[in-house]
Amino acid sequence: MPPTSLPTAGFDPVTPTPDPARLPTDAAGSTHLLQLGGLPPAAVRRLLERTRRVHTLMGETASLPLSGPAQAPAGLRGLLKGRVVANLFFEDSTRTRVSFSVAARGLGAKVIDLTSVGSSVSKGESVADTAANVAAMGADALVIRHRASGACHLVARTLAALRPGRHFPAGRRCAVINAGDGRHEHPTQGLLDTYTLAEAHGRLDGFDLSGLTVAIVGDVAASRVARSDIAAMTALGARVVCVGPPSLVPASLGALGCALSNDLDAVLPDADAVNVLRIQFERREPPAGATHTPGPAAVVSLGEYARLYALDADRLRTMKPGAIVMHPGPINRGVEITPEAADSPRSVVLRQVAHGVLVRMAVACECLGVSDF
Amino acid sequence: MLIVNGSLVDPESLSVVRADVAVASGVIAAIGPRLDRSPAARLIDAEGLLVCPGLIDPHVHLREPGHERAETIASGAAAALAGGFTSVCCMPNTTPTLDSEAMVRYVGYRAAEAGAARVFAVGALTVGRRGEELADIALMARAGAVAFSDDGDCLAWPAQMLRALRAVRSTGRALMQHCQEPTLTRGAVMHAGEVAARLDLTGWPGLAEELIIERDIRLNRAVGCRYHAQHVSSAGSVELLRRARAESLPVSGEATPHHLLLTCDLVETSGYDARYKVNPPIRERADVDALLVGIADGSISVLATDHAPHTPETKQTTFDAAAFGMIGLETALGLYARALIEPGVIAWPRLIRMLTLEPARLCGLDRLGLGQLRVGGPADVTLIDPAAQWTIAETDLVGLSRNTPFLGWRCPARPVATIVRGELASQRPRS
Repeated sequence: MPPTSLPTAGFDPVTPTPDPARLPTDAAGSTHLLQLGGLPPAAVRRLLERTRRVHTLMGETASLPLSGPAQAPAGLRGLLKGRVVANLFFEDSTRTRVSFSVAARGLGAKVIDLTSVGSSVSKGESVADTAANVAAMGADALVIRHRASGACHLVARTLAALRPGRHFPAGRRCAVINAGDGRHEHPTQGLLDTYTLAEAHGRLDGFDLSGLTVAIVGDVAASRVARSDIAAMTALGARVVCVGPPSLVPASLGALGCALSNDLDAVLPDADAVNVLRIQFERREPPAGATHTPGPAAVVSLGEYARLYALDADRLRTMKPGAIVMHPGPINRGVEITPEAADSPRSVVLRQVAHGVLVRMAVACECLGVSDF
Repeated sequence: MLIVNGSLVDPESLSVVRADVAVASGVIAAIGPRLDRSPAARLIDAEGLLVCPGLIDPHVHLREPGHERAETIASGAAAALAGGFTSVCCMPNTTPTLDSEAMVRYVGYRAAEAGAARVFAVGALTVGRRGEELADIALMARAGAVAFSDDGDCLAWPAQMLRALRAVRSTGRALMQHCQEPTLTRGAVMHAGEVAARLDLTGWPGLAEELIIERDIRLNRAVGCRYHAQHVSSAGSVELLRRARAESLPVSGEATPHHLLLTCDLVETSGYDARYKVNPPIRERADVDALLVGIADGSISVLATDHAPHTPETKQTTFDAAAFGMIGLETALGLYARALIEPGVIAWPRLIRMLTLEPARLCGLDRLGLGQLRVGGPADVTLIDPAAQWTIAETDLVGLSRNTPFLGWRCPARPVATIVRGELASQRPRS
């Protein structure tokens, strides 16, 4: 049997597309949202402007009734009728998976939910094979979360290499939407954080964030949210400062285009927003079989961390009027943030969650080529 | 067999002279201008070609025993001939490990059955390459192991490294080190730097290579073993080798085509394509430039491929889960010409020396007469067209695996005929 060759059809997520306001599209015409890093500001702005139109159509509360048909109001209703969105979550999720489902259902799409438990993933199937199979069954979009950085890029590359007419119906397109790949990116979270920031500071017209300072505090190195936030916010002109101990905010993160600091108390009084991150203990476990690898305690002392970096009532008082507190969740109360801070009037945590549905509606429409609003 | 009208490259003197080469009974019968053509059984016209000693690759992975879907000794030896290599030295990271006299003899038997390129075994330094007990180094040397290495892993523990240097020293062979400090590279999959930070892939810093080379040079001062740093990738390593060679220490280093031609930004622009995943990783432009300077000034004296075949499923997966390595035997000469000859880093005689005499001396193959063309010596000859423009295609790959990012790359030279033990083993129609 001749050896199978690796696909040579590439998919370059970094080089800008001919229209800088559009997301990269592969040879088959599929549009993917794999990362915000490297996207031209115009493309980020376009997604946020579409989010704003969704927001206007949805009304101020920006929420859908989860009971009943959960249909969006006129103008949005049925935009994705007849389309199939598959949620492939190879990692645990609460907010993101529900949010994508609510968004797609609200627009009239059929939603397939697949988790690693109870699917062929637990029989050893690879992410690329699972994704290709679901795409071959007719999914128009794959929303993917996976523990490996670059997993969504791999799926996009694998789909691009499938031969139309043989592996795949000719003319079939399938979008890949990154719902979190390893510690790399979580683009829809980055967009909803940016949207929330812009709303709180009255920047929804044109999404010009210049003059705003955002502090991202905590486990930045292990955070896909931070990478997406930094990409989107700096693209629109905000200044981002990552704050934490050197082990969680290593100097290499300067490559992302943000400032770095080890002193939260020095940064907070200048911040217009603080985004508090959880310490990702599950991503800091020693690899299996490694006997001499120190655990999370070698990375950071929790006692010291809570003293120097936890957002508490005292630190909250040093912040500017109008400055907001964000958290992508899940919250570990008492570790990176105290209940007083998490539930303070500055907190926009649940606003972020509501915006998540709007962003995911806008992204689904953009990736599926729906331009009716 | 009579090879006529070619330009004979002598890797010892670095001279190029027009001369004919007569081959009979597997050995070089005569070398000289205008040899008598009447008794020749077969005439090979080498007009416009470089007539070189058969190329020698001191660093390949042939995957047998254990992973025969990726490569076998026979398929790897055939790939070698297609790439102009008449001798290859296979690394011991097979399953089971080449860590005993019996395993070294097994490689010899399989290579003899294949009857393609000569295959020499590199024995493991430690049992199972675990870095703990020393393997039977002296017995393996007697069975034909040409060098010793735990390649794939670094022999990291200093006390054990010192013992290994002493043990290998007593055999007169070379110790080849895979230079990778393990605690700095746990879970590391690409060059540590800006691109790794953006992609969130665990970084493998050049420092982890440099620390081991510096330490090993120091450990070896009192021992004097022939020490060779495999697949050198970082600028700092080149400087360490430069200083060691200036002191005339028995130290050398090797380069690979991919570390001279690829940089780590390709991992990003390819969208995490694991064909670019290799150990040590492809690094930055400054590292490539330092390697080129090191080759030009002799700090790096040996060229290898680190031919590392893998099955599609182990490469076509997420970047962190994919296997390390890329194949290289079929493409190395063309890529070396592109990296070194085309930009004028070195000239052909030096390139040929780094692919013949230097690896022959490293592995003691010069004692068999390999690495040079001498009357009475073995007739391993590679004919190279130094002006052949070609583009690497999948059809050029002869081995069992396809994991190379170089498909579609243009090369300015290629081997057109490979003669091993006096037999024409591989020939390509000249363009």
